[in-house]
Amino acid sequence: MQQQEFSPQDSLNLIESMINKARNRFSENGHLYLLWGWVILICSIVSFISLYRFKDFRLYPVWFLTWVAVIYQFIYIFRKKKEQTVRTYTDEINANVWMVFVIMGGLMGVILSKMGHYQLMNTMVLILYGMPTFLSGVIFKFNPLKFGAVICWVLAYISTLIPYEFSFLLLSMAVVTAWIVPGYLLRSRYKNQN
Amino acid sequence: MFKDLDPILHSQLRLAVMSLLIGVKEAEFTFIKDKTGSTAGNLSVQITKLKEAGYVEVIKQFKDNYPQTICKITAEGITAFETYVKALQSYLPK
Repeated sequence: MQQQEFSPQDSLNLIESMINKARNRFSENGHLYLLWGWVILICSIVSFISLYRFKDFRLYPVWFLTWVAVIYQFIYIFRKKKEQTVRTYTDEINANVWMVFVIMGGLMGVILSKMGHYQLMNTMVLILYGMPTFLSGVIFKFNPLKFGAVICWVLAYISTLIPYEFSFLLLSMAVVTAWIVPGYLLRSRYKNQN
Repeated sequence: MFKDLDPILHSQLRLAVMSLLIGVKEAEFTFIKDKTGSTAGNLSVQITKLKEAGYVEVIKQFKDNYPQTICKITAEGITAFETYVKALQSYLPK
């Protein structure tokens, strides 16, 4: 870019083009939506099979997969941050929204277990899934996430009308609509951008 | 009535840098260089001018043993940018 005389109209055009260059950058590649979508899908289906087929919790250790996912996520985020050359306000707000979700989810899990209301867990989890998913949809102006969040809230209500073991199937439906489908759409949007 | 344009901002590359930084929290020197298509030397000179005017904060650190320069717009820079845009509007046909 050369230093030269330029008119007020040139200035405005330059400002507009630079703001668009920064704004149009789409940093969300859907990777973590897919990771968590598939992990929770597997865990919820296995939990359903455990309760429905064996009438007990024998397959519940499958949830240890989430710990593997947490470790992977830490490594992934650490590496991604190192590669980042720009930090936007949307990235920061989105990261905080998901941090709030993790804190609230963790607290809710501990409190419900302590009070012995584990059967409420899936309903509350479905309500909770909707919050960060919807807000991410707003932040990234991405309607599939907003749609997925609304589905989570509808499924949360439905989960109060059916036996506990079937709520795991609702959980799997929720992660497919709220995370897996939007995750693949985000991935393709990210690839098209590059 | 035409308003005076801030000479610090009324320069193509400095204005491009400020326009990029106004929309992000912070950006690395390499990001700004890519987006503006400028040379490292010229960009460095212009960023120093913005820094001296108090419009941009420059953080120099190391990342994986390589020097890294991060730039972010200051509150003063935001005000100057807004004033500049308002002044530009007075030049445009109504």
